[in-house]
Amino acid sequence: MNRKIKKTFTYLILICISVIMVGPFLWLLLSSLLPNTNVYDFPYNVKLQSFSISNFTGVFEFVDFGNYIWNTVLISGASVFLNALIASMTAYPLAKLNFKGKDILFTIIISAMIIPSTAAMVVNYLTITKLGISDSYLGVILPTSVTIFNIFNMRQAFLNIPDSIRESGRMDGASELRIFFSLIMPMVKPSLAVVVLFQFMASWNDFLWPMIVLNSTSKYPLSAALTMLNGQFAYNFGWVAAGTVLSILPTLFIFVLTQDMFVDGVSGANKG
Amino acid sequence: MEKMKNKKKHVKSETAYAWVTMLPGLLILAVFVFWPLIYSIPLAFTDYSVVGDMHFVGMKNFRKAFSDSDFIAALKNSIQYVIIVPIIQLISLAFAVALNQKMRGVKVFRTLFYFPVITSTVAVSIVWSWLLSSGGLINKILLGTNILSEKISWLSNDQTALWVLMFITTWKGVGYYMVIYLAGLQSVPGELTEAARIDRASSIQIFFKILIPMLKPQVVMCSLMSVMSAIKVFDEPFVLTKGGPGNSTLTASLYIYQKGFQNFDFGYAAALSLILSVIILFFSLFVNLYNRKK
Repeated sequence: MNRKIKKTFTYLILICISVIMVGPFLWLLLSSLLPNTNVYDFPYNVKLQSFSISNFTGVFEFVDFGNYIWNTVLISGASVFLNALIASMTAYPLAKLNFKGKDILFTIIISAMIIPSTAAMVVNYLTITKLGISDSYLGVILPTSVTIFNIFNMRQAFLNIPDSIRESGRMDGASELRIFFSLIMPMVKPSLAVVVLFQFMASWNDFLWPMIVLNSTSKYPLSAALTMLNGQFAYNFGWVAAGTVLSILPTLFIFVLTQDMFVDGVSGANKG
Repeated sequence: MEKMKNKKKHVKSETAYAWVTMLPGLLILAVFVFWPLIYSIPLAFTDYSVVGDMHFVGMKNFRKAFSDSDFIAALKNSIQYVIIVPIIQLISLAFAVALNQKMRGVKVFRTLFYFPVITSTVAVSIVWSWLLSSGGLINKILLGTNILSEKISWLSNDQTALWVLMFITTWKGVGYYMVIYLAGLQSVPGELTEAARIDRASSIQIFFKILIPMLKPQVVMCSLMSVMSAIKVFDEPFVLTKGGPGNSTLTASLYIYQKGFQNFDFGYAAALSLILSVIILFFSLFVNLYNRKK
């Protein structure tokens, strides 16, 4: 009996916390599906026939949401691919190869994490302008095409791989490149999933740097467009709500896809 | 002899291979991470702006910074933000321990608790700005339950605005650290807590005396990340309050951004970011030392 009460109590608390964590989003979803209601009129007077997706069609029709989604897919896709590739390529020698200055190099890289990103932004803006890639996707993607955080994660993953793997590959006469891609990389899939998820989230949700680099609002990714939308169409709650819901769905999708590897990947990254 | 030569050749080729593979990554870091740091040092001693020439102005920017009441207010707010670090860490540890049990639906709860992490600050800010406005749901709930006697405009009241932002950051961040602690808990043997339970240790004792010490590496890492991102906080005040009302939610990063990208006072912005970097370094060292002593 005592046990049963305890169990019920635990579930009750967990459900309460869930309401706090997800409640705001459920309310957002509800608001987006109810055109002609004001978000301040909650609790809504809900009838089944008042549900409609007209807010969603509205943002596509009047705000060119499809274009923003395409921009975001392009920017995030490139950023995720480049990070997965370049972070792995940079981290592998730092973890497994022998060369002079390895430890110093790693320390220097890690210590750069303390720099506030807004500080770097000023100089990076000047650099991007000098390189002639302002107002371009390349200008948005390039500065974050590899992050220290991702290099760190991948290095931890490579450290956990026994040296014998590489030796056996060498014994078979495989080249370093081949050992890396066909023997080592398949072993760090969970950590790679973490890199993919975190980088996807970071670039999908980033709004500040794109807004600085891009002059043409038609090139804006979703988050940047949403800040704009929230300013311009503040009176049209339904559209803003629908746009916000749409912006959340892709990250949710990627999260559900990578979720099973997620805890493994994070625990791999924290060993050692 | 032949073997030695081969080995030497091998070491040489390994070194070359290492540098070649690292080249793209190092190049990007050099240009977009290290160059800003190096270049902002001389820049901080100039009056560089988009218009006009660049002049060396000595310590002027730094002197200006310490008598700039806006910057002092911003620094104070950024440092006040650090209060959330122990709160976030305790809550996320508690969540992790609660969701490390073997019970039905535990995976669903993990996903739900993690949900705010995967959403963008922009989306989160839009939702909360509606919920927290004077006619919003939060006020209705608090009025309805008689906790409040009159409406509060949470984000446009200079007494509450910063605390509300801190709450939103906490709410959005706990899931992130929870997953790291969950991963750490997997390496804590179940027999340990079992044995403690047989010895009639309470859950709270187990939490503080066994689990937290076992998770020390994770606690140190998470506190460090959390301290750094608290001092650097930018997104929440940028989207939700723009630093207002007054200066009540102006943070150091937001002020640097305003100086750099609204006033185009690059020299001054560079000086401010150097000061902020030193403060962050100081706090990180403090967290490290504190944990080592414990």
